[in-house]
Amino acid sequence: MYKMKQSLFSTSSLCYMIFSDSEVPMKGYSTEASLTISSDMQFLPLAMSFTEASAKAFGLEKTDALKLTLACEETFTYICKTSKETRSLVMKATNGLYYVGVQFLFNASDFDPRAFNLTAQVSPDDEQGLDEMGLIIASRSVERLQIFHGSEGVSLVLVKEKSYPPMSKITIPESKTLRDFTVVAPDPGTLKLFAGQIVHYYPDHLYPRDFRFPGKLMDMVASGEYGAAVAVGKEELTGGGVVWFQSSGKMVEVFGPYLFNQPPQSSMAARLINAVIEGLAKTGILFLIVMYATPELPSGYFEPLGAIDIFKKDSPPAAITVYCRQLKEDPGSTVWVHPELEEFLKKEYRRLYFARRMKPTESAGEARPEHSVFAARFVKAQNTVILNTIWDGVDFSDNLDRHIRTLGNEGIPNIFFEIDLAYAWQANLIPLLLRREFIPRLVLPYAGEGDIVLFQHGKGL
Amino acid sequence: MFIVPLDSLVPDYVKTFEAYIPSKPDPELMKLYGCDRLYRLNNNENPLGPPPGAQEIMRRFPPPRAGLYPSGDSYYMRCRLAELYGMDPDQFLFGNGANEVIAFVIKAFCQEGDNIITADKTFAVYEWVATFSGFTAKLIPLKDFGFDDQAMLDAIDERTKILFVCNPNNPTGTYWNEAKLRSFLDTVAGRQIVVIDEAYCEFVEKDDYPDGMKLISEYPNLVVFRTFSKMYGLAGLRIGYLMGSMGVVDVIRRTCVVYSVNTVAQDTALAAIDDIDHIYRTREIVNTEKRYLREELDGLGLETQIGEGCFIMVRLPMSDTLAYRKFMSEGVMIRSMTGFRFPNWIRVSIGRHGAMEAFVEALKKVLSV
Ligand SMILES: Cc1ncc(COP(=O)(O)O)c(C=O)c1O
Repeated sequence: MYKMKQSLFSTSSLCYMIFSDSEVPMKGYSTEASLTISSDMQFLPLAMSFTEASAKAFGLEKTDALKLTLACEETFTYICKTSKETRSLVMKATNGLYYVGVQFLFNASDFDPRAFNLTAQVSPDDEQGLDEMGLIIASRSVERLQIFHGSEGVSLVLVKEKSYPPMSKITIPESKTLRDFTVVAPDPGTLKLFAGQIVHYYPDHLYPRDFRFPGKLMDMVASGEYGAAVAVGKEELTGGGVVWFQSSGKMVEVFGPYLFNQPPQSSMAARLINAVIEGLAKTGILFLIVMYATPELPSGYFEPLGAIDIFKKDSPPAAITVYCRQLKEDPGSTVWVHPELEEFLKKEYRRLYFARRMKPTESAGEARPEHSVFAARFVKAQNTVILNTIWDGVDFSDNLDRHIRTLGNEGIPNIFFEIDLAYAWQANLIPLLLRREFIPRLVLPYAGEGDIVLFQHGKGL
Repeated sequence: MFIVPLDSLVPDYVKTFEAYIPSKPDPELMKLYGCDRLYRLNNNENPLGPPPGAQEIMRRFPPPRAGLYPSGDSYYMRCRLAELYGMDPDQFLFGNGANEVIAFVIKAFCQEGDNIITADKTFAVYEWVATFSGFTAKLIPLKDFGFDDQAMLDAIDERTKILFVCNPNNPTGTYWNEAKLRSFLDTVAGRQIVVIDEAYCEFVEKDDYPDGMKLISEYPNLVVFRTFSKMYGLAGLRIGYLMGSMGVVDVIRRTCVVYSVNTVAQDTALAAIDDIDHIYRTREIVNTEKRYLREELDGLGLETQIGEGCFIMVRLPMSDTLAYRKFMSEGVMIRSMTGFRFPNWIRVSIGRHGAMEAFVEALKKVLSV
């Protein structure tokens, strides 16, 4: 599966305190449908009707269901064209409550994995030409496209989010200073108002766009992928809150904390963050990350990792400080370091007190495979693509150029590349990234198999 | 090669359980952190180590005996304890550390759908064993750093089998006095098993601190844990035990692994148990160093939680996991307490004065950069 959906708080105190007598992530809705077919164009109508029917059953509106179906048509056609023989493939539709996902899963050895670069062409002399590549076309009508290459094979995931009505004109109740409050999981009504309060009290660069749609935030939390905690006073007034999202098996992204009319010396922000940490302390989550830090982010909880630049459609570009907090004692580790990144890493590891044994590595003319393969996480709403390498290949730089060009044509200004320092062959790619104007921005401890260095394309602000 | 179908082989409660990764051995850590010394102040070990008589037994251990199995049920140890406490040898069960006897009790009483009750911020192994065995651990928030008796009682339902109370509590050092424990046991009225973990009992000098062992005759549902890892300085040999009424222990014996306590551990513990002097000397160090730490930490204006036991808690104005890394680079290993659900707190085990000074010195550096 492409999404971990275990409840974050299955055994925590927060679970007992907060979830025992309030809303538990919604159950009882159908969550999955699957179809096993062959990569044969004869099945195209079946693949399409499967997608459309699941999308509708899982609650997508007609136009959204059609867009997802279109993307699946494009993807399925692409898969059929790129496989030399007819192979078995599984389609899985998932109800994420605030989105519908369709996953194509197939054995990598049966297909040319190169074809699953975001920018790959069906064939070099394909009549559609460079600009019209199946996967890129598919990406245009969905919110997220992800390409994974794992032990199970290649997996392509298309995610179409549901459309929600914007916030109504209801008046947001004036928040008061709360001296006594408890931190609880909000009931649906409180959560809806909480979304309204965030939008009312905070400038829009301090929260994700999704929060402008209260129904969406409610579904995001009900799906179990997101969590929320609010500080409520005696009269059930909400004085503040925090939202979080489990973005991988190891990492949770925290939004906020958001405080409404609370005095600067209030303990509310710290208590909200404590609640999040305590709830996750005994899970497999290794660290929290904050990209939408409000001025209320309590001091002494997070460490600044570095900054990235974000270019948005509807607002000026901004440098965002990324904060992190480890949840476990750092056991220390060994990383592969290319000489061209040594200085950066030494400085960062010293600054952050990370104990790392650095092993030097660089290419020494050894034979490499011909073709590189990238995985991609494509997030449309954020104009962002995050790439990493699945397979090394001598065409790495060309492949990189193709991605930069294609993504540029698509109007995607935020291009990131992850290098996992657990692998010497990935560290060897560093000079190639540096030559293509990728700049190391931050080190995420243990975010991959080992530490990940996040590079951003472009000179920056 | 076969592919192991882990998805279908592994129960869900194991799939979602996160393994505990212990810290690397000292030489590895010293290499990684580039320090030439390492004060381990993270495991609540006795700074004096084992009592002298016990050390002598270890030294004299005849190697050929390693070729033979130990007594499968720690026979001489049980007889000695029975004599000391006026009980029957069959009221004792030994394990490879108290950690192992936790599992014996849970296996003996819980089946699918059952639950145990304990605190959210206490020694983690009760919660772990229950969770990875497929049982629910109901975690009751501490109240003023102590176990909340009323909330624990309120949480009991028809599927509750065991209530675990850590007395004194690791890490907060709080304890229930005899009146509170008795009233709790009276309310439970024998319906569930009540475990009192007395791993640190030998450190407590308070008059109203209850001796669980003395209450077993009155409360047959009471099970008491003790260990040789803390006061007796035998953590590396792994030996601990439980005791209870005959009927209850007879049931737990069925799920207990025999032969899990090795010969050296049994012989050494037998010598350690009679060394009262060792207890006094250890208490002396612990009390003196706790006083020293309290003064230093007060001087730095830091919030502390100092109760019973050979450890203290300090609240830092910074992330405890960052503090852990900074302390390690100074050659001092403390316990960061996010894992105990105490964000930004650390727990420091009491060591000899040199170690305590090293800790204070490192702390000042950690806070200043
Ligand atoms: C409260 C408590 N119980 C039990 C144990 C386990 O002790 P043993 O070393 O005997 O397994 C510990 C060890 O830290 C402890 O703190």
